[in-house]
Amino acid sequence: MRTLTVYHLGRIAYTAAWDIQRQLAHKRSRGQIGDALLVLEHPPTITLGNKARPEHVLASPAELAARGVVVVQSDRGGEVTYHAPGQLVAYPIFKLSQHGSDVGRYVRGLEESVIRVLADYGLIGERIAGLTGVWVRNGAAKICAIGVKLSASGVTTHGLALNIDPDLSGFELIVPCGIMDRGVTSLANELGIVPSFAEVTERLIARMCEVFELVPREEVLLMA
Amino acid sequence: MAYKTPADLRYAKTHEWVRQEGEEVVIGITDYAQHALGDVVYIELPAVGSTITAGESFGIVESVKASSDLYAPVSGEVVAVNTALESDQAPINSDPYGAGWMLRVRPSGESVELLDAEEYAAFVAEIEH
Repeated sequence: MRTLTVYHLGRIAYTAAWDIQRQLAHKRSRGQIGDALLVLEHPPTITLGNKARPEHVLASPAELAARGVVVVQSDRGGEVTYHAPGQLVAYPIFKLSQHGSDVGRYVRGLEESVIRVLADYGLIGERIAGLTGVWVRNGAAKICAIGVKLSASGVTTHGLALNIDPDLSGFELIVPCGIMDRGVTSLANELGIVPSFAEVTERLIARMCEVFELVPREEVLLMA
Repeated sequence: MAYKTPADLRYAKTHEWVRQEGEEVVIGITDYAQHALGDVVYIELPAVGSTITAGESFGIVESVKASSDLYAPVSGEVVAVNTALESDQAPINSDPYGAGWMLRVRPSGESVELLDAEEYAAFVAEIEH
């Protein structure tokens, strides 16, 4: 089986992680490296996908500044989302042609990985037809957001954000993914206990490797 | 998997096609590109009268939740845009070389490396490998 090089980036600014993604994606497209996965958390950040509507950021610039929330226009698919400490973010840098050349199947693979992690904690994760992400409680609350980009050379960037125990009040600053009528939740909120960030991270890496048929190789990375 | 690569077109390695029509060229994305992306749900194209630059991004195409940049195979002035795609993107998937066309451009001379159909099919087979 092919290996997956996993980089643990800790807490890192959105734009800094984006730079690292671009560097790795460039190397991946040239065949200089194999598939890679970045795992990390972001400081409080609102990101706007291509389709994001400005009115889906509900808070005023002053309110965002007061809360220390930065706003970034991203090049991923989708609408508006919120990142904060306590949310596990995973950015796979995959060559899509080695995973079926089908971005729909790839996104379903990301959802499947998260659904298996939730099952590890006794939760039932679900997809909602026509939407991307993972929900719990029969679709009442979203626990994982997904938004990806495919480069012209067929390499993926961006990925998924699984709420472990972020301050959920931050989601009140936005209309998550443009969806008004469903709530947002976290593992801690569903379980009544806070699973460790490291443990959920390890489970997600294991489940992604299972779904995408990869063998993990951990690396601590530092890119100048 | 075999993708359609019409013989009368030329192709960029970033999966856009170019059809010469008199002094102008028509641009769209290839059958391979639409297949890799899946059902397109959103597109951003430049305005008529704007200029595009060979090798640089001229727009965005987005499926379920994957987005992808569109790269200009040639430099030139945009003389027509398939604005019908803004409300209905289905032709990009169902008819990428026909009703799914994106731009009509009056080229100014520069272009990226363009492949013929046979070379492009071989290029796709290589990246699929």
